[in-house]
Amino acid sequence: MDTPHKPHFIRPCTRIWLALMILTCTTFAIGETGWSGTAVMLTVLGTAVIKVEMVANYFMGLRRTRWLWRGLVLGWLILVSGLITIAYLMTVK
Amino acid sequence: MINNTRTSHEIHATPPGDLAIWFFIYAELLAFGVFFVAYAFARANNVELFNESQQHLNRTSGAINTLVLITSSYFMVRAVAAIKQGLSNSCARWIAAAIGLGFVFLAIKIAEFNATFATGISLSTNTFYMFYLSLTLFHFMHVILGMVILAAIMVKALRGGYSAENHIGVETGASYWHMVDLLWIILFPLVYVIR
Repeated sequence: MDTPHKPHFIRPCTRIWLALMILTCTTFAIGETGWSGTAVMLTVLGTAVIKVEMVANYFMGLRRTRWLWRGLVLGWLILVSGLITIAYLMTVK
Repeated sequence: MINNTRTSHEIHATPPGDLAIWFFIYAELLAFGVFFVAYAFARANNVELFNESQQHLNRTSGAINTLVLITSSYFMVRAVAAIKQGLSNSCARWIAAAIGLGFVFLAIKIAEFNATFATGISLSTNTFYMFYLSLTLFHFMHVILGMVILAAIMVKALRGGYSAENHIGVETGASYWHMVDLLWIILFPLVYVIR
């Protein structure tokens, strides 16, 4: 029996894994600097949002499903990150 | 035989795995989402307390655990890829590697909890630690549950219970494990980094 070809998603997922590792190190480096403020918060939270979308679309395979399934995760992400942003902006003087 | 083959480039009506797990995943996202937002608004009322308490967290172990979970999640992508090729033993090995990294995550987290509790900190110390301990313990439980699910799938894979045509169980376990990773990706910056 012929061995089937490697699934098409391995290579993009490997690139996504590398990107996730780099973005995590970036977040950690920002944390180590001790920087704070709105721009830093938006950068760190924005990075997390991008990472979540990467995991959902590539690792979970949602990019090849109907919009509804991706939209539920994206909607949840926008709502949660939006409310977190509002809560943090409330403290900015 | 049930044919669960999903071809490469078409758009599927449902996500990978058993549809039931997706309702569970969305319910979990909702529960953690409420927790994350509650943390952010509690912080808004106690900014100095949260910022001061956060300084005592071990950010390095939090970051290492993020790298560990992301890699473990990637191993499950490889496990799904292996079973789609009909390679049961290779699939089981990737799952074993994912579980192994799950143990690494737990070990690092237990060490972090031990260090925290050793200083006399508990759930009632202050609002920040109440959220930090509750959120991370809640997530910790999900990691354990995920590892149990992955172990069951690994055993079935070793027994030849999955094939290139029938691998919905592997995709179901992988989807749950990716959710555990996804939640930590938000939890880490929210609790350990943003101030």
